Amino acid sequence: MKKLAVVALLAIYATSAHSEYLYGITGNMAATGHTWGMNSVGPSNQRGMRINGVYYQYTPIKNTEDDMLVHVRNKRVGGDGYIFSSTDDWSGLPGGIAITKGFVIDNLPIELWGEGSIDIEGTGSVVDANVVYSYKYNEGCTTPMADPSCPGYADAVLAMMRDSTVEYYDPMGDSNISDVLDEKVDLDEEDEKENEEDEDRGRLERILSGVDESVLSANILAQNLLMFAMTNNPSMNPYYDKKLMGGVYKETVVLHGGELPDNKKGARAGLAQQILHTQMISMQYDKTE
Amino acid sequence: MKKLLLVSLILASNAPAFAEETPITGNVQTRCLITTDTNGVFGNPSPTKLSTASTDGGVVPVVRYDVTLADAYLAKVTTPTEFSSSPALSDSVSWTGSTAVTKTTDAGMSIYETNKVTYGQTTQFDLTIAGSTWFSSESAALYGVNKSFPGGSYTAVILAECIAK
Repeated sequence: MKKLAVVALLAIYATSAHSEYLYGITGNMAATGHTWGMNSVGPSNQRGMRINGVYYQYTPIKNTEDDMLVHVRNKRVGGDGYIFSSTDDWSGLPGGIAITKGFVIDNLPIELWGEGSIDIEGTGSVVDANVVYSYKYNEGCTTPMADPSCPGYADAVLAMMRDSTVEYYDPMGDSNISDVLDEKVDLDEEDEKENEEDEDRGRLERILSGVDESVLSANILAQNLLMFAMTNNPSMNPYYDKKLMGGVYKETVVLHGGELPDNKKGARAGLAQQILHTQMISMQYDKTE
Repeated sequence: MKKLLLVSLILASNAPAFAEETPITGNVQTRCLITTDTNGVFGNPSPTKLSTASTDGGVVPVVRYDVTLADAYLAKVTTPTEFSSSPALSDSVSWTGSTAVTKTTDAGMSIYETNKVTYGQTTQFDLTIAGSTWFSSESAALYGVNKSFPGGSYTAVILAECIAK
């Protein structure tokens, strides 16, 4: 959480700030001697100053046969060695001819640049030395937090975060919010019940709507049949117009006299049934059984 | 036989020419650049003398050679032997001049001055090291025998050349 806040603050500062760099060059730092300090580089109180170039020129005075090394360099503040160093080897070379060199420096903060010097190893000397530094600075770096490019920006932001008391707010511990949440839970339960009732009511309505639909369909069917019956007007005229021709229909069947023999098989069957019927009737009066 | 020869010649003259000239092009990027660093000015210390020497009130012209390929070029600097523009002169002009290495970007280039070759008004330097070298040329002109230069404007030219070895 805290890291997130720091990152957010850094982002806000980074987006709100803008950089306006100003550039400049120094005078001849070696005009008064072969050692010089860097405090006089650029305007005073410019915390964001950076060195972006070194240019030097000098004329060696020596005999050709002599060995001589010339070092132009700056000590590194807060560490061993040099933050800038260039060596010219004049051994076996004639003197009297000026040398000039220029170097592009990768915007190293002025705070890292220590004392500058022209050092000679061997026999010979250096005259007409000229050492110039080019620099740039952000005019708005009156405080470290003025711009992310200002030195100490990140440290200043972190220090500010450490100094500030961050009060954490726990929303779940707020009684107002918990009450509202409880009410919301009750309301949710009521809503669920209402929803269930609504669902039952809906099912019943759907069932009833099915019955209604059946009744409606039956009514429609009955109405259709009634309408069909009402519209079914058969033409009776053909029947009324039909005329039966009058006349006498004579008997065509002629019965010839003779003797019809009895059906003996039928008589036997009928007699047997009769006997059986009689026995059954008599049985109800038979008290012996 | 004579007819046959004639027919052969006609056939040869009518044959199509299957030949094409294909050009080859290419660019060579210079690795020796000559730049005028300082324009010279003639001083007039006496009526009979024009000189670029600072002691004579003049300005020494400086020309810079930028070489990106070591040991590949010769620098030739020729001081003037005549005015390119001047008032009408009725007498001869005596010219003297010299060229010297005055500034380098590498200590080893100081040897150029030691090894330079001079002939006539021309000084030749062997550019054996990549880098920049400044050459200064002093030039002086004397008119006749203790004769005063006519009034007017005088212009002379220094010729600087970079010759591939």
